[in-house]
Amino acid sequence: MVTLTIDDQEVQVPEGTTILEAARSIGINIPTLCSMPEINHYPGACRVCVVEVDRVRNLVASCVYPVAKGMKVKTNSERVRRARKSVVEFLLSDHPQDCNICVRSGNCELQQVAEMVGVREIRVPRTDFTVHRIDDSAPALIRDASKCINCLRCVAVCAEVQGVSLLTPEGRGFNSKVVPAMSAKLADSACTYCGQCAVVCPTGAIVERDDTDKVWAALEDPTKHVVVQEAPSIRASLGEDLGLPPGTLVTGKMIAALRRLGFDRVFDTNFAADLTIMEEGHELLHRVKTGGTLPMTTSCSPGWIKFIEHYYPQLLAHVSTCKSPQQMFGPLAKTYYAELAGINPKDIFVVSIMPCVAKKFEAERPEMCDSGHRDVDVVLTTRELARMIRQAGIDFANLEDEGYDPPMGQYTGAATIFGATGGVMEAALRTVYAVVTGESMPSLDITPVRGLEGVKEAALEVGELGEVRVAVAHGLANARKLMDQVAEGTSKYHFIEIMACPGGCVGGGGQPIPVSNEKRRLRAQALYHDDAEVQEFRQSHENPAIKELYEKFLKEPYGKLSHKLLHTNYTERGI
Amino acid sequence: MAKKKMTLDDFKAIQERMAKEKEKFRLRVMLCGGTACRASESLSVKDALIEELNKRGLSEEIQIVETGCNGFCAMGPVMMILPEDIFYLKLTLEDIPELVGKHFVDGKPVERLMYRDPVTGKIIPRLDDIPFFALQQPRVLRNRGLIDPEKIDDYIWRDGYQAAHKVLTQMSSEEIIDQVKESGLRGRGGAGFPTGMKWEFCANAKDDIKYVLCNADEGDPGAFMDRSVMEADPHSVIEGMIIGAKAINSHQGHIYCRAEYPLAVKRLNIAIDQAREYGLLGKDIMGSGFDFDLEIYQGAGAFVCGEETALMISIEGRRGMPRPRPPFPAVSGLWEKPTVLNNVETWSNIPQIILKGPDEYTSIGTESTKGTKVFALTGNVNNIGLVEVPMGTTIGQIIFDIGGGIPGGKKFKAAQLGGPSGGCLPAEHLNLPVDYEAVTKAGAIMGSGGMIVMDEDTCMVDMARYFMDFCQDESCGKCTPCRVGTKRMLEILERICNGEGKEGDIELLEEIAQDIKDCALCGLGQTAPNPVLSTIRYFRDEYEAHIRDKRCPAAVCSALFDSPCRHTCPVGMEIPAYVALVRAKRIDDAYKVLKRTNPFPAVCGRVCGHPCQYKCRRGQLDEPVAIKNLKRFITDNGKKPKVELLPVTREEKVAIIGAGPSGLTAALELKKRGYAVTVLEELPEAGGMLRWGIPAYRLPRDILAGEIKDILDTGVELRTKTCVGRDISFKQLEKDYDFIYVAVGAHKSYKLDVPGENADGVFGAVEFLRAHNMGERVKIGKSVAVVGGGNSAVDAARTAVRLGADTVTIYYRRERKDMPAEEDEIKAAEEEGVRIEYLVVPVEVKTLKGEVNGLKLARMKLGPFDRSARKRPEPIIGSEFNVEVDTLIAAIGQNADIEFLPETSGVENSKVKVNVDANLRTSNPKIWAGGDVVTGPAMVIDAIKAGRDAAGAIDESIRAAKGESPWAPLEEEKIDIPLEIDEEIVEQPQAAMPEAPPKKRRKDFREVELGYTLKTAIAEACRCMRCDVEIEE
Repeated sequence: MVTLTIDDQEVQVPEGTTILEAARSIGINIPTLCSMPEINHYPGACRVCVVEVDRVRNLVASCVYPVAKGMKVKTNSERVRRARKSVVEFLLSDHPQDCNICVRSGNCELQQVAEMVGVREIRVPRTDFTVHRIDDSAPALIRDASKCINCLRCVAVCAEVQGVSLLTPEGRGFNSKVVPAMSAKLADSACTYCGQCAVVCPTGAIVERDDTDKVWAALEDPTKHVVVQEAPSIRASLGEDLGLPPGTLVTGKMIAALRRLGFDRVFDTNFAADLTIMEEGHELLHRVKTGGTLPMTTSCSPGWIKFIEHYYPQLLAHVSTCKSPQQMFGPLAKTYYAELAGINPKDIFVVSIMPCVAKKFEAERPEMCDSGHRDVDVVLTTRELARMIRQAGIDFANLEDEGYDPPMGQYTGAATIFGATGGVMEAALRTVYAVVTGESMPSLDITPVRGLEGVKEAALEVGELGEVRVAVAHGLANARKLMDQVAEGTSKYHFIEIMACPGGCVGGGGQPIPVSNEKRRLRAQALYHDDAEVQEFRQSHENPAIKELYEKFLKEPYGKLSHKLLHTNYTERGI
Repeated sequence: MAKKKMTLDDFKAIQERMAKEKEKFRLRVMLCGGTACRASESLSVKDALIEELNKRGLSEEIQIVETGCNGFCAMGPVMMILPEDIFYLKLTLEDIPELVGKHFVDGKPVERLMYRDPVTGKIIPRLDDIPFFALQQPRVLRNRGLIDPEKIDDYIWRDGYQAAHKVLTQMSSEEIIDQVKESGLRGRGGAGFPTGMKWEFCANAKDDIKYVLCNADEGDPGAFMDRSVMEADPHSVIEGMIIGAKAINSHQGHIYCRAEYPLAVKRLNIAIDQAREYGLLGKDIMGSGFDFDLEIYQGAGAFVCGEETALMISIEGRRGMPRPRPPFPAVSGLWEKPTVLNNVETWSNIPQIILKGPDEYTSIGTESTKGTKVFALTGNVNNIGLVEVPMGTTIGQIIFDIGGGIPGGKKFKAAQLGGPSGGCLPAEHLNLPVDYEAVTKAGAIMGSGGMIVMDEDTCMVDMARYFMDFCQDESCGKCTPCRVGTKRMLEILERICNGEGKEGDIELLEEIAQDIKDCALCGLGQTAPNPVLSTIRYFRDEYEAHIRDKRCPAAVCSALFDSPCRHTCPVGMEIPAYVALVRAKRIDDAYKVLKRTNPFPAVCGRVCGHPCQYKCRRGQLDEPVAIKNLKRFITDNGKKPKVELLPVTREEKVAIIGAGPSGLTAALELKKRGYAVTVLEELPEAGGMLRWGIPAYRLPRDILAGEIKDILDTGVELRTKTCVGRDISFKQLEKDYDFIYVAVGAHKSYKLDVPGENADGVFGAVEFLRAHNMGERVKIGKSVAVVGGGNSAVDAARTAVRLGADTVTIYYRRERKDMPAEEDEIKAAEEEGVRIEYLVVPVEVKTLKGEVNGLKLARMKLGPFDRSARKRPEPIIGSEFNVEVDTLIAAIGQNADIEFLPETSGVENSKVKVNVDANLRTSNPKIWAGGDVVTGPAMVIDAIKAGRDAAGAIDESIRAAKGESPWAPLEEEKIDIPLEIDEEIVEQPQAAMPEAPPKKRRKDFREVELGYTLKTAIAEACRCMRCDVEIEE
């Protein structure tokens, strides 16, 4: 332990602690715009966190400067306040002054820090102000480099967490900016659209494409029958953007709010998640029994799909042909449900609420039209839905819980845990076990695949199949580890779950900002609670609505109609 | 595996073989093949030399060696002939046959190609005797010009690799580090961190893998120290690194060298290959069991990659951006392994420290900094090149004694040390002994050793802007202060240079600069504001001139003016316009143009100090346009514009005390504005110093009288022989007039302050000239001594000649180049027989019966520099000598006589000068003052400006008090200015001014300069490049 003095308070912290952490431990908040301890990102770039250290000539960046014995630190001297103010002034002098109309207004870190350090004027000239063309080429993310403050967080996330390294600083001096490699437009790049950059961006330099107007228009259109599906994780995260504590399960309020917004039917992606388990479970069994390509990987995460299409195109045969739950829901809404309700499918408008920006891209993939129409019309992220609820003036926190519409609103606990890393694997194993052995697993909780460990694995005796070895990865850098084994032929697994985002969908690129591992954990916990405590059924094959779907419409899992509507194929893409 | 295991015997054998080989040749030609000499075609010279030697069959007896940089880059291509040590410079292909024939065949060295001392004109054949080399102490550069850098045997011949042998076979890591620590060696990259301590940190770091790195990413503008070392002596760097590797137990090293240094890279590669071949790199070096190898990494030229962490990240293959420290590289550097990084110069110091021991090393240097420092001396200095001097050498010694001073007789302004991270040091720091602490304290940094000399034509704001632009361009963009802050500083500087500066800009720059220094991530950002801060510290007035007066005193910031000459003229004479009119033969129009800004053009055409000409752009090509002479030509040949009586339109009355150029100009300007003006003059005629100080042979009386008459003809009242205080009381004057302008000039000579100076026959120069010009018979002896070096001294001397003195001698305490008198005047005096003795000072006036009969003088030597960037003379004790003198004239300066101002006047003054505010107003709001009485002796044109400014300010204050709108000048006749420019500029010096022959002119006071003919004048006018017009292509 090291003892030092910060602002005349003595503090004892472990060796290697940064000044910033030490200060926070005694209730002194130091502003920062670039550091991200969770991913070991300490570029010391923004210089907002500077403090005065006795006998050190210059101010030091407290986010990276380690404590030392007997060190005397001042975090609130005249010199420090003045310097921080100057630094923020510099940033603002090269930043659009249009906070009021910025999508990040209110949760912009630059705005907060400017307020905190007390900037009231910008003394330096703004003679040269970098106006960058907004890159709205991609169907998921929009980059406005003029709002970039070069914190390099997106660069670090893209490289370290996602193993993609697409974003990179370019140019020198005032003209240096973060760009996709070779200054490519996002749409022409090997971006996976995972959106993790948008989640860590302190400002509005990278944001999701806002599609709320399209939804408002559909809701206004009397000829449209607008149905909505919400991904499993939304019920555990939406509340955060509407004033509730992280990890609050808001299923009922969410349904109520969606009805208030004017959706004609409130369904659930969880229904399709159960269906996915049926299809994917059977596909796995089919591959095992027929000597198909193994290991098989999941295919629910569109960021992961785009990643493998770009970076491991030779391994595409390993990916399950199942569409993601969102894309299973779409065609069923426009066939099965249309038939049931007697509505012309062309009048049905399917809206998804997703934790994910890549889902926007997924819905627009040309092949996703198996219903004869665009299967899913518009994808909104959690943040966009929250925005609509605020726009509509709905007092979300005080809404009475409501229930889903039948039939595509019914789901099991297995579906709901899709939203957390390991959830698909756990759900799939429950059903595979039951299908193979004819009985339920002794315990339905497969804890080794839960939690935030980067790569997790488990092995399970499954009746006549013997030992089934599975692995789970979240975050694409972790996915790389497993896929490199597959590529080398050394993978020992039968089934691999991969989610593009850290923590799985609870940590998705469309989720409320800011995120942290603690929030990811709380959101996941809410989903496991839904599975274990709230839902009547915990195994996908037990979902009565699914049984009915097979009986009345699909006939059998992994069957002919399933292949037409629920399975797909992939595209090799370059880097 | 190493091919050889070198032993001491092997080294000895190589040395003996090399010595013998060298003896085989009668002469050895050491031809410089450094980058600078190559740029001046040294390789062609080499080819020509080889051809010539072959032709004459001399190839066997004369060896040609291509060496690395010799250092005297300005003189390239250079070569030294061994063993005679004869040094040739500025060689051309045409010189080779003569050189070979005369020197190599006939044994008669060619003087024409040797160094000629610019002051004495003496030929200096031997390299060691040339001041540029004589004052250096090469250690790092010890092998420069002596070895072939591409031959390892040459290096071994000069003791190479013996230090490496010593450490590998005899010394422990601790011993090596101790030696380096004891030597006090500090990092020559700029920060000056103790090298031994750095090594110790790294040696103590626990890791199996460690690295030694050489920072050869020299990027400062104007710096080429490291490049030259690598080109001239690459093995010294390698050997240093081997020693460092052994000290920290590293087995792999990298040299990070910018790709823009192809020759350095090539020679390093050759050296590394040769070292490997000799088993000096690789496994089991010299059988010691120690392994070490080296690789060169070529950087792409990003300045920031010279920063240690960025350099390492760049070697790792990533974008070169610095990372925060700690951890320091000694603990976690390249690939997160303990790493020692030193720069080229540091490494090449190491072998000699090991070989000769730390004591030898510490024998030179200062208290805090030992050893030598290599400087790249560039900019406005005669001897551009590479110099190595002991720490503690003063900046002045480097620039003036070694560097040979400033070219073209320009004044020294500042030395920029440390490149974009450094600062500008003005003349007051010429005596600063260079070491890390002293230089930092003065506001610059040692840096890697770039020293850029700047003369008076450098604008310090522009210089700061240039360096800021550089830093902004080279910033990696990672941290906010450097990315945005330096940009904002640059924008402010650009605004100031464009004449758009605002009050508060300087303070804002200072504030931002401090925050950038405090907050930036790496050294680049932390030091980027230094050039701005140091220029504000020492040249704040230049910033203020740009901001407040929209003036660039150095005439550099072209947005502020149309032409440098006009911008520099105190009254803004329309020089390009009247020069163009001369060219168009419209002399009458030209005269009108002259009179628009200056009521004394005929006077100024003769005696102006012509500051305009010093800034003339033509001067950068050959010689400035003779603006003064053209002005005179116009007034000699043009029709004088008509003068009209101007009406009195205002009620206020103004009195002017003193009918010199300042008082008369003020009178005219006030008259134009409608005031009744009376000029009071104590002496019988108007003209002031022009009439009573300047001799008639320079300024004929009728010329002066004509221009004074023009002023009086407008209705200005002149009362001569009216002494204020005697003929009219100051009080009465205050009562009779609303405002008073005091312009009495400076008509009292300084005393010599030596015993005996009150004797008969001792005069002050002003009093002497006045007495003569009043028509008094001044008793002049046979042997006249004049003490001083300004224009008055020369005027007095030349007047004494004309009054019949047998001998006239000027005694001046400094050197000729320091004389304030104009060069043309000094030359003319010498032609007329005036003798000048330099470096002498009078100590006593010898008298006989109350009359001067001799002068005791002391010889002077030059001491440290003073604030005027000249060396201060100091008497040599015991050097006194006597000369016979019967007239002594003291011309060492003059001041104003303001005794007429009563204490009750309320005018603050220092007894010799009147104090005024920026508007020339004294502490009594009714009284204004200007000209020499305020500034001390200055140029006529300064007095004219003061008169004009005072008149304007008086008028403005009157109108402002009455709430009237400002005076609108009378509409002037429109004169169209022709634009005729030569398509091609052919070098051609200034047209000489025809003069009366010296023998004839010594006898009388007729004008010496005879004026241009029309043909000459037009030819001279054609030399004007018309930089006032922007010509669109």
